[in-house]
Amino acid sequence: MYDKQKFWNPVLETLPPEKIKQLQLNKFKKIFKWTYERSKFHRQLYDNAGIKPGDIQSLDDVQRVPKVEKSMMQNIQRKAPFPYGEALCVPLDEVTIFRQTSGTTGQPVYQPDTWQDWEWWMECWSYILWAQGYRPQDRVFIPFGYNIFVAFWAGHYAAEKIGCEVIPGGVLDTKARILKIQELQATAMMGTPTYILGMAETARSKMDIDPSKLTIEKITCAGECGASIPSTKKRMEDAWGAKVYDHAGATEIGAWSFECTEQPGGLHVNEALFLVEIEDVETGEIIEEHGRRGKMVITALDRMAQPCLRFDSKDVIEWAPEPCACGRTSRLIKGGVVGRADDITKVKGVLLAPSAIEEVVRSIEGLSDEYEVIVEKVGDTDKIKLRVEVMPEAEDQCPLIESELVDQLRLKTNLRYDIEICGCETLPRYEVKARRFKDLRKKE
Amino acid sequence: MAQQIDLKKINDKIQQLKETTRELNRIGEDFPAIARNTVRILASLKMLEINVSDLVELE
Repeated sequence: MYDKQKFWNPVLETLPPEKIKQLQLNKFKKIFKWTYERSKFHRQLYDNAGIKPGDIQSLDDVQRVPKVEKSMMQNIQRKAPFPYGEALCVPLDEVTIFRQTSGTTGQPVYQPDTWQDWEWWMECWSYILWAQGYRPQDRVFIPFGYNIFVAFWAGHYAAEKIGCEVIPGGVLDTKARILKIQELQATAMMGTPTYILGMAETARSKMDIDPSKLTIEKITCAGECGASIPSTKKRMEDAWGAKVYDHAGATEIGAWSFECTEQPGGLHVNEALFLVEIEDVETGEIIEEHGRRGKMVITALDRMAQPCLRFDSKDVIEWAPEPCACGRTSRLIKGGVVGRADDITKVKGVLLAPSAIEEVVRSIEGLSDEYEVIVEKVGDTDKIKLRVEVMPEAEDQCPLIESELVDQLRLKTNLRYDIEICGCETLPRYEVKARRFKDLRKKE
Repeated sequence: MAQQIDLKKINDKIQQLKETTRELNRIGEDFPAIARNTVRILASLKMLEINVSDLVELE
């Protein structure tokens, strides 16, 4: 039976690396030609760079293709034709669904998809869910606000495609969602790490329900990098008594990577559907070796209506040294998406990724899941304040906790922090995506 | 398992389905229920092409 099969696509997912590269080149040529012939915006960009479809003969040639930044998409969507501007590659009446980015980094980008593009989104997610053990026997609860943001929409439809029974937990509040999971004995769910931890806290503190005693066996996370941060993953797994898997995707790109059941400490890039390049932030050089971080430049090889070609995602990633034991031949990125090039900032001359602070905070027993980091300039010096919450049962251990925090943070980030230990439930709570890192220097 | 799959044979079937669906789509030009349902079938067939036909081109 097909549900015993380990891979969603047993051929594509075990293709030798040289064949994957050949497939990527073939597909890049096609999507580049498609886009060049249909998008006035892209054609102008490529003509200005002196590159035409026939010039792409190798993956090295791909690097000559100019990158597209989010700001470019924001600009063209301000211009006619309404509402997508000149990057739309299909007639407007073939667009069947609208989504938009969250707008946390400026004006939202609109994303038009045809029915075929939407099928493709589902296909990307089918690879993810199958690799994470979703099967037709699963009952999947999806606790997110079904709206203009893509979030878990494609996860919902992919779970249906796989044959799971899907429970849309749309407008229910958190308590009602927990009760529905309990009532219907859901076996899987999807959410941001912030929300998954928040649900567990609500269940324990406000409903006297131990979430680990519910029937959830696996959780798929998105939207934040927490499920790839070991201490955050452990907190979620302990809270729910379930396996927690990460995936990474974006509205303008698609769902491009996923963790498999081996939990290899990284994410598989779905290289049959995406071409991922890692670019050195300083030099622009493409990084092929493992162990060097850079920002991701990505191409969705099959997205047609508003193509995503060499998109400068600003996600910071690095290649992992070894292939995964699961047997998939696609490359892994170590530790998932480590951060965004925008968020990784220099403090006192040292590069700081907020995810490194989260890893420390959530590894310390006695602290709640919440924390807040504030970077500000005092005189000529950068100061970092870390605010954490102590659990009621650990209040007498504050000096010990503070000392451990200082030591671990020094070790992991090479920086000194002013620590403020607050009482439980004093820091802000976030419903979906959290903004726990505040760099006040940018406003000064 | 992967070695036992005859991709070319599967691709031939996909292409037959695609041709039939395109023909139905043309016939359904004035028949919305046929026109729109065949658009959706063609989108699903494209996913089969991504999963299979693109690989046949490599051989």
